[in-house]
Amino acid sequence: MTTPRLLGAAGVCLGALAFGELTLGRSGPMGIFLAGALFAIGELWSRALIRPAPPALLRLGLGATAGLIGLPLVALVLHLAGVPIRALSLTAGLAVLTAGLGGVALLRERSGAAVADPRFARTLAAVAIPGVVALVVGGAATFAYVRMPHPPEPGFTSVALGGWAAGIARPVTIPAGGLDVPIRVSSAGRPPAVEPLAVRIGDRPAGPPQPVEVAADSTRAVRVHVPAPPGAGLHRVEISLGAASTVFYARGRGAAPHGRACGAGPC
Amino acid sequence: MTLTAVRPSPAGISPKAPGTTQAMACAATLTAAGVAGAAALVTADRSAEWGRDPFGWFWLGMLVFTLPAVWWAGRRGTGPLLRVAVLVAYACFTYLPKLLRNPTGPRYHDEFAHWRQSRGILLDGHLFDPNPIVRVIGDFPGLHATVAAVSALTGASVWRAALLVLIAAHVLVVLGVAVLAEEIWRDRRTAAVAAIAYTLNSSFLFFDTQFGYESLAIPLMIWTLVALLRAMADRGAGWILAALVLAAATVVTHHLTALGLIAIMIVFSAAITGRRGAAPAAWTGWALTVAAAGLVTGWLCWVAPKTAGYLDPYLGKALGQIAGLVHDSGSGGRTLFQQSVAPWWEQKAAFAAPVLALAAMIAAAWRLRRRRAADPLRRGFAAAALAIGLCYFPAAVLILTPSGAEGARRSWAFSYLGIALVVAPLVVALLDRAARVAGPALVALVAVMLVGNTAAGMNPSYRFPGPPAYGSDTRSLTPEVVAASNWLRATQGRDLRIVADRYAGLIFGSSGGQFPVTGSVTFPTYELYLAPPGTPVPPALIAQLSSWNFEYLIVDRRMAREVPEIGIYFETNEPIRHNGRPAFTLGQLTKFDHLPWTIKIYDSGDIAIYRFDFEVAS
Repeated sequence: MTTPRLLGAAGVCLGALAFGELTLGRSGPMGIFLAGALFAIGELWSRALIRPAPPALLRLGLGATAGLIGLPLVALVLHLAGVPIRALSLTAGLAVLTAGLGGVALLRERSGAAVADPRFARTLAAVAIPGVVALVVGGAATFAYVRMPHPPEPGFTSVALGGWAAGIARPVTIPAGGLDVPIRVSSAGRPPAVEPLAVRIGDRPAGPPQPVEVAADSTRAVRVHVPAPPGAGLHRVEISLGAASTVFYARGRGAAPHGRACGAGPC
Repeated sequence: MTLTAVRPSPAGISPKAPGTTQAMACAATLTAAGVAGAAALVTADRSAEWGRDPFGWFWLGMLVFTLPAVWWAGRRGTGPLLRVAVLVAYACFTYLPKLLRNPTGPRYHDEFAHWRQSRGILLDGHLFDPNPIVRVIGDFPGLHATVAAVSALTGASVWRAALLVLIAAHVLVVLGVAVLAEEIWRDRRTAAVAAIAYTLNSSFLFFDTQFGYESLAIPLMIWTLVALLRAMADRGAGWILAALVLAAATVVTHHLTALGLIAIMIVFSAAITGRRGAAPAAWTGWALTVAAAGLVTGWLCWVAPKTAGYLDPYLGKALGQIAGLVHDSGSGGRTLFQQSVAPWWEQKAAFAAPVLALAAMIAAAWRLRRRRAADPLRRGFAAAALAIGLCYFPAAVLILTPSGAEGARRSWAFSYLGIALVVAPLVVALLDRAARVAGPALVALVAVMLVGNTAAGMNPSYRFPGPPAYGSDTRSLTPEVVAASNWLRATQGRDLRIVADRYAGLIFGSSGGQFPVTGSVTFPTYELYLAPPGTPVPPALIAQLSSWNFEYLIVDRRMAREVPEIGIYFETNEPIRHNGRPAFTLGQLTKFDHLPWTIKIYDSGDIAIYRFDFEVAS
């Protein structure tokens, strides 16, 4: 392929990448255009730097390596220029690299056009054909392996402070009427169960445990009423569901409003 | 390199016919072998998952493909294009064990770090962010920038983009060694044998295929050497520039490979120096070596100054442990395959492989001495390859020390290059002289070396999937830890400073997007966990955590029930007893439930997340 045609092919691939990014969104076929662009850039590296053309396998490997390092090279230049590394900026950078390399290659060819090497196409086929077969065989094996049944992974039930309570960073002031604390209950890999939900203030239970249904592989929000602690001092508040629990600290209404929990409406 | 050799063909017979038949036979054999091998490898991984012995199936799968491929690559009658095709097929197939090991996401320790680094580029759009898991990798963005760019341009996930890059790099390693060998020996068959010989090194199947910077840096190094040899032979400005560009890419990608490249360049340049008629080549070699060394020095001084401090302790400790081995009758050493579940024949092969390599090197050196190439350049290149190959044997001593083992394994990817380049012509000569005897013997040798070196390079938990295990880098990822890290990121954001153990730190620091610290001598966060219930945590540590804005503490209660598989809770220098029993009591780990300055915001049984409230602590 002549250098102008190679430049054209690189331009088409890079244009497709930019067009895909701007309109269709990124998708699988973009990989083919990227491979095409990198292959063309690698070959342009080779033509810009090396005369006469090296043997086919050397040229192919060097081109593939050079094409691949075009990506970090462009990313590094974008970083140094303070441009965020995104699909469009990368495409633009690759286009500039292509134009630069193409220009140098064309300038060097003014002293004599590169002689077409028929061995190159055959070597490319010798690389591409087993590559595609390996991709099919290896891809099928991997696809099958991933989709085969695997041993069940250990399950768990989690309890977390939810909603505004997830932001509790210091002792909460609880009003006289108590405070509804949202918690998040999640279960994965375990059968449905009924777990006791309990609240303890300091060492004492705030009331009898309430049964809560925990469905298999589910996440739900539960509001837990925490009564006001008996005094103004610092009290440990534990909300437990089965073996899992959350713990925060609270003061009664008589205390100075130290560190209200963010978004804690009732307090 | 001429890929279509011009041979006289018998009159009346199409010159393409034998080649086509040969190619069809080869394609049919290797496709069938590839399908069978892939099926056996899948069976091996499934056996491991379900608690059955995977080793037999694994090696059946590997050898059922690799041995016919070796035969096709090494036989005299194989055409040049077909040989290239066989090498590509071989390279692709040898990526399959790693692909099947973890097809959907990172599992190896370093993979978590590199995955995070690449994802960070994708999310934030810039390079050189610090990495909490492996602290220097942010300064070597070659791989991460490549993967992030592929992901950004194609829409593929970071992991899939990484696989595409790594498979391409793996193929480029094999083709690169073949081209490098052909530069020296001027024979495609020898080149193919050298490429196969290089793939027998212990890092080839699992270590240099992982999502790690060396996996891209090794092919870059090999192609730099190709350009170097071309530049020395041709002295064209283009090759010099190509060598410099490739060397720069290696430097930007991985520190050790860059240093290894400089060492190899020095050896090649030195081997040419003083040879009659090779002075210009030597000058070119030295000029390129100095330029590449300048690139490495510049990068390490101005861009990655932390690297020396990162690498230095490993080398220093390894040397100290070697001294311990010599002077203290084995203190500081390690026992190979201690508690390994690898079968006896893998272990025996692991011990046999270096011995066989030594025998091959002695024979190759003897042959080199007897049959000197006429060209002083080729003679020098061969001597350089011999010197590089000989480095494999002293490095093998390092494997006996805990700190040196890691470095020894990594060095084999370099030194095996020398072995492959030197031994390949010997193999071809043996095949030419007595193919009937040498052929089967060499195939058997390949099998022993492949099995032994792989067993020596990676332990079974890296090679095969299995049930979750506490304290295993590769099997510590459980749905529970992932859910906890996802919850923290979703509710509290990313890049939070957290205190964690090594294994939770891997997950929270990668998919969780946080900034974990797992402790060090100067920042002993493990003292938080070690403090007995009722005993105050050292105030200096609390002050340190507070002033550095650490916000969260992750506690894995399995530390009180189980012993870490790799014998580390936090980091290698931790002041924690390791006597085969858990080093923590449940009280030490649940004491945070009763400390007023730790708010338990998440609990899933084994994993608890606490938020620090240092105002209360003070």
